[in-house]
Amino acid sequence: MTVSQEQVARGEPILSVNGLSAGYGPMRVIHDLDLIIHPGERVGIVGLNGHGKSTLFLAIAGLTGWQRGSIKLSGHEVGGTRSQGPGRHTHKVVRRGLALMPQGDEIFHGLTVEEHLDSGAFTPKAWRERATRKEGVLQVFPPLRKLMQTPVGRLSGGERRMVSLGRGLMADASLFLVDEPSLGLAPKIGKSVMEALFAIELGSSAMVIAEQNVALLEGRVDRIIGMHVGKLKGEASASLAQHNRREA
Amino acid sequence: MDFGFIFITAITLACIYGTLAIGISITWSSLGLVNMAYGFTFSAAGFGAWYVGRLAQDLPLVADYPLLLGAIVIAAGIVTGALVGVMVCALAFIPIHDKPEFTVRGLIATLAISLIGTQVLLYMFGPRAKPLPTLFGDWKVSFGDIVITADKGGSIMASIVLLTLTLRWMTHSRRGLEIRAMMMNPHAASLVGIGVRRTGFYVMALTGGLAGLASVLLSQTYFVSPFAGLTPLIKGLSVALCGGLGSVQGAVIAAVILGFNEALTASFLGGQYVLITQFLLIIAIILVRPRGIAGILDRAREA
Repeated sequence: MTVSQEQVARGEPILSVNGLSAGYGPMRVIHDLDLIIHPGERVGIVGLNGHGKSTLFLAIAGLTGWQRGSIKLSGHEVGGTRSQGPGRHTHKVVRRGLALMPQGDEIFHGLTVEEHLDSGAFTPKAWRERATRKEGVLQVFPPLRKLMQTPVGRLSGGERRMVSLGRGLMADASLFLVDEPSLGLAPKIGKSVMEALFAIELGSSAMVIAEQNVALLEGRVDRIIGMHVGKLKGEASASLAQHNRREA
Repeated sequence: MDFGFIFITAITLACIYGTLAIGISITWSSLGLVNMAYGFTFSAAGFGAWYVGRLAQDLPLVADYPLLLGAIVIAAGIVTGALVGVMVCALAFIPIHDKPEFTVRGLIATLAISLIGTQVLLYMFGPRAKPLPTLFGDWKVSFGDIVITADKGGSIMASIVLLTLTLRWMTHSRRGLEIRAMMMNPHAASLVGIGVRRTGFYVMALTGGLAGLASVLLSQTYFVSPFAGLTPLIKGLSVALCGGLGSVQGAVIAAVILGFNEALTASFLGGQYVLITQFLLIIAIILVRPRGIAGILDRAREA
């Protein structure tokens, strides 16, 4: 599914990033970056290690060391210039509808899987609907159903990834940022996790997946954007990317 | 030697130290703050309870029911403790929690609050120790050799009931989940929409309330005075360390061990040796288990 012109015309973008720079201390990782994500889109961001994919996601959540530039989430400004206090406003951005599934899982190792999923629905609206949301997550990741009462710290890498992604899906979010969902997993498990992400009905929300392996995204997302040394370089609709590959 | 007496003393001390240690442990693991003002919170709560108790004892209904006065005094201690906790949070956590070297700065800031606060208490209430009214009435129960007096029985009951309620609240409510999530991974907590500053106030009010409870219970044995908080702070900190910072079960077990140690040392060697044997015991435990008792309990891998 690609975003048609009328869809673009109808709704304002979910995410609109303008002139974003971000980094840590003296190091500048993101350089003057612009990005627009529309409702219903599934977008892949592809780039090598250390070229700023994770930093872009963290900057949107307000978790980098410093940042400047405009970030509009569903029309509300959540960016601006900030030189310290990483994470101070993250919870407000999350309340505006951001769900970040971070690299390295960032789990609560002592909570059970069920409590962990509940924690993902922390915002008041999601909390009231957490039972139905949990059912939805279990449909995306069926293996979790048997593990509901197990502490997350005892799970395997693949199960942890499912818990971490499931926590993001519990949120009442309009924008899902998924950072390297297949990283560190056996290829088969990584692929099934990706399949689960592709199968999720987005509705009016949007999903951005950062990934090093283009092959995992090809044909499954609406757009693929390359990232190189802190800048977005080149963009292709997925079908075009697939076509070029066949030609070559 | 009266083993029944030693046993009951040990359990009473364990309950009180456990309450303090759980407060310190929760503060450290959720906020990353070593709360040196915990001793000040303790003595301020004692004065709050004393002040309210003095006001309340002349009220018509209270004079007839001594247990009602006890309940009022306990509630006053808990509320004062919670208020002081919130104040410490506003002064020593909110302004500096995301600045560099927060752990050291937080330690110094809370120490400063503790020193200044103690002097303020001294200025306001004078150096003389104040007794709290008897909280749990005057009764005795005996099981064979073991005689439980009202003050000890009441302290044990009150701390067990209130601690159980607190822990249940922490495992069964949204706020409790918020605090536990902060204890395990503050970074991930902000990702699910938990605001560090707001949680800080909840944590400090909760732990301040626990300090207030411990203060009121301990002043059944000791008196309320401006410097009364120092020894409980040291003991609470050492119990929390021994149990493994961040672990509630560990703190409870460590409190029982150290409570028995204190009661045994006091009756066999004399009260002046209590701190010596206590620290020897803690050093021994930390040498064998550097993460404290929680290192044995923890079933989950970290990170």
